[in-house]
Amino acid sequence: MPAHRSRAILLVRVALDCEKPFLRHLDDGPQADRPDVPRINIVPTLNAISMQYHCSPAYDTPAKPGRLREMRQAVVPPAADKPSVAIAGEHLAKRFGHVEALIDASVAVHRGEIVALFGDNGAGKSTFLRCLLGLERPDAGRLLIAGRPVKLAKMKDVRAHGVESVYQDLALAPDLSTIDNMFLGREQKIRGPLGCIGVLDRRRMGERADAALKNLSIELPALRVPVRHLSGGQRQAIAVARAVMWATTAVLMDEPTAALGARQSQIVCDLMRNVAQQGLGVLVVSHDLPRLLAVADRVVILRRGRTIVDTAAANLSVPETVSIMVGYHQQNAS
Amino acid sequence: MMTIAEFSAPPSLDHGDAGDDNGPSEFADHPLRAWFASSAMLVLLVDLAMIGFFSLVSRDHVFWSIANALSLLRDGTEPLVLALSVTLLMSAGLIDLSIGANLVLCSVISAMGMQELSAAGLPPPLVASLGFVIALVAGCAFGIANGLIIAGLRINSLIATLGTLGVGSGVALLLTGGQDIREVPMLLQSGFAQARLGFIPLPMACALALALVIWFLLRFTSFGMRTLAIGSNESAVLRAGVAVRRHVIALTALAGCLPGFAGFVDLARYGATTMMSHDEDGLVAVTATVIGGTALSGGRASVIGTVFGAALGLILFSGLIIIRVRPFWQLVVTGVVLIAAVASDQYRAHRVGQH
Repeated sequence: MPAHRSRAILLVRVALDCEKPFLRHLDDGPQADRPDVPRINIVPTLNAISMQYHCSPAYDTPAKPGRLREMRQAVVPPAADKPSVAIAGEHLAKRFGHVEALIDASVAVHRGEIVALFGDNGAGKSTFLRCLLGLERPDAGRLLIAGRPVKLAKMKDVRAHGVESVYQDLALAPDLSTIDNMFLGREQKIRGPLGCIGVLDRRRMGERADAALKNLSIELPALRVPVRHLSGGQRQAIAVARAVMWATTAVLMDEPTAALGARQSQIVCDLMRNVAQQGLGVLVVSHDLPRLLAVADRVVILRRGRTIVDTAAANLSVPETVSIMVGYHQQNAS
Repeated sequence: MMTIAEFSAPPSLDHGDAGDDNGPSEFADHPLRAWFASSAMLVLLVDLAMIGFFSLVSRDHVFWSIANALSLLRDGTEPLVLALSVTLLMSAGLIDLSIGANLVLCSVISAMGMQELSAAGLPPPLVASLGFVIALVAGCAFGIANGLIIAGLRINSLIATLGTLGVGSGVALLLTGGQDIREVPMLLQSGFAQARLGFIPLPMACALALALVIWFLLRFTSFGMRTLAIGSNESAVLRAGVAVRRHVIALTALAGCLPGFAGFVDLARYGATTMMSHDEDGLVAVTATVIGGTALSGGRASVIGTVFGAALGLILFSGLIIIRVRPFWQLVVTGVVLIAAVASDQYRAHRVGQH
């Protein structure tokens, strides 16, 4: 396939570009400028990885010397206790036995901002997300929600602070209708004695669900049909709309496009923008680099439990991101 | 046929790659048509066909008589109540094999309690009502025990209730020394089992009212919605902040009351405990529920289907006796219907699932 070839060529170009000025300038290590340091051929690795990350062949801007150093110096602007911070984790560390899942990871999401969290497998993305959700308690560092430091003990705590999440598996009950799914755990009951025995006010729930969906320009055919009859994109949209309906500060999304086709993925990315425009902070963990780089405002890259890049999305191209994620400049230097 | 539009995309989107992910094109026909295609409806048709068949074939059309109808309604109370209990649990993806043991244990405890109370000189109406309460409370406690094992110890419900099936039957036999208790207030028979509400025997009227309550519970309340959601996707319910374990225990407690009620009906009907005739109750109830269209894995429940499913076993049994075919055929036919019902359900689910 020509596409594969162009990817390979592109990666060779990345490698060559980087090998000369890019690497030595970009790496902070003491050996960066030593020509006698053996270099590892990372092209096959990168090639494999680029497939995983849907690397597009649109690479036409060779990395400028010194870019990564600039970015890395800019890492972790202290989030400060600004009210504009929707959700942030600062210098989080988490150890599971001998495994250091997080060493020094920081991500801050401001209101109205989409932040993409990238990282190779095992970089600590999931652990970081779990810390933000209160599913794990970090060993060190602190969490901020709505600009204030918080302690999260249970999952309910984070929801009490107005943070909602869209799970990779969507967490929808397939046999329940859209309305019921959107209100699961937060059902609205009829006023009066019938409400005391738990009778649902499906009409009011339906109106609210409808409004929440319209708010994001999502149109579903019938809100009372079991969700399992809907398409993957529609289900994803419901999960997003549910999170937005209940969120007041931030929405966390885990791989929201992983199960979707090209068009549906694009729709979900546009949804993210709509969500951010509601004044919520949006944190997206994804492997879909091209789309996220296009839609996100800021990109944070984790590598081996540390935040190594925190920069505007416009500063990064897909190949650059891949090479930073897999840490190949570090590999070369050591 | 109704076509489902994709959710609207912002105008900036490229729609060039259509066919990338098409929504389902057919699922929500007219609700009436959907109902006619449901398992419940199919089972009702089989029920009616069987009634027609037995009425025609039986000598002097005895099957089509008031006496037989009454006897069917009397016989049907216990299987129906037990099947309702199973339906409630199966909505959440749980299976209960212990309902037969629960029934027996409740009837034994209730009978012993009533013996004590009579000996204490309480008036019979009070003894009977207290016996009713004792049966319900015992059933509820049995259900809670099941719930604690399932939710607390995280043991699969099939295994948990297989265990409590043995424990319950064993304890009932230990309490009575293996002898059925025959001293039960006569009032139970005259005042409850033989009483009628209009045409319908009182116990069956109660059972139908229970069916209505359970249907309402599942369909219109947040308790029912969460129950179905647990059967549909338990981890989603957990992540929605619902205390799933507490809910499961509440559910088993509620479902446990029903065999308690059936145990009391049993006592009233026969004027004695019948410890040895409930070994297969659990499987019969599961059969009725599944035939009626409730999904074994939970998430979908049809209470009306359970009513028709419970009726089917009964009609077959009584009909075969009346036309003098050996009633063992009832087992064969019920088994075949069970498999056919599940197969047709899966076939339809598969067809709907094909997008």
